[in-house]
Amino acid sequence: MIPSDHFTRFYNEVFKFLEDQGEEHLEAYWLEISKNQEKHTLELFKEKGLKGMYEYWDHIRIEENCDMDLKLDDEKLELRMNVCPSLSKVLDNDAEPMKRYCDHCAGWIGPLIDKVDHHLVYDVIDRNKPQCVVKIFKDKEKAIEEEKNAKLLMGWPKKKK
Amino acid sequence: MNKNNLDQKLRYNDGGNVHMDFHGATNTTIKFIIDKYGIDTMNDIFKKVGNNVYKNIKDHIKKGNIEMLAKHWQHFFDRENADYNISINDEEIILTVNRCTAYEHVRKLVGNVSPNFCDQTIKTNEALAEDTPYEIKTEILGEAACRQTIRKRA
Repeated sequence: MIPSDHFTRFYNEVFKFLEDQGEEHLEAYWLEISKNQEKHTLELFKEKGLKGMYEYWDHIRIEENCDMDLKLDDEKLELRMNVCPSLSKVLDNDAEPMKRYCDHCAGWIGPLIDKVDHHLVYDVIDRNKPQCVVKIFKDKEKAIEEEKNAKLLMGWPKKKK
Repeated sequence: MNKNNLDQKLRYNDGGNVHMDFHGATNTTIKFIIDKYGIDTMNDIFKKVGNNVYKNIKDHIKKGNIEMLAKHWQHFFDRENADYNISINDEEIILTVNRCTAYEHVRKLVGNVSPNFCDQTIKTNEALAEDTPYEIKTEILGEAACRQTIRKRA
């Protein structure tokens, strides 16, 4: 068994292999993970919108030992990851980290948020630091405005324009 | 066998909560990679996990300190609340997993566990033992049960 604690280091090995095959291979995998995540999230997000998203990430915050602040208001959900356990483990690793490890997160979350007609702004800030800011808006124009403030804005496969 | 070696610190010594759903993502990944690239590719990735991610345990095995692998088993099977036991004697260390909670969790999550789910154990173990004086044999005893034995090569 690869312990669940070490999943991200296994994930990192998968990403390195797929990156060598080409960008479309990596994106196909992110979409597969996104589909897998739909089982836990899609109905919740559809039914409860931002509140459902808050519930999901609050559960993740606890279960994945994230140092993360969550803020919900009528317009948006904001996740401020102060110390990301996923990238932290990949960096604390005897195997080489994939340089774009952070990209997978928007890669699976983005398609899911598109599906529930909300708008994701994913600022990784710096791929070498285990921190990021994620904002999910109800209103598309507000998301587009917010994108201007991002330091390192992430995209995802088939991003809605 | 030096049982004091069990007091040594693990390279990856995780604490806190356990996110068992990651096993579901492992199952999805195994299916995805095998469907698109074939089983040899999946096995190569597990080999990299054994050789590179677990380099520290492998280095211990090379030096004859196989107790670090036992310690790794103990730490993570405890964290995942598995039903298992480890027997240590002068010749070998045997891990018997009576109820693998990773396997059971995936079965609960998605219903059908990949037939290659346990390859993560078999192939990672093979890589850990490769180029060391030891072999690791992984026997699947049934659904969610296995025996893993590390002993000196004949």
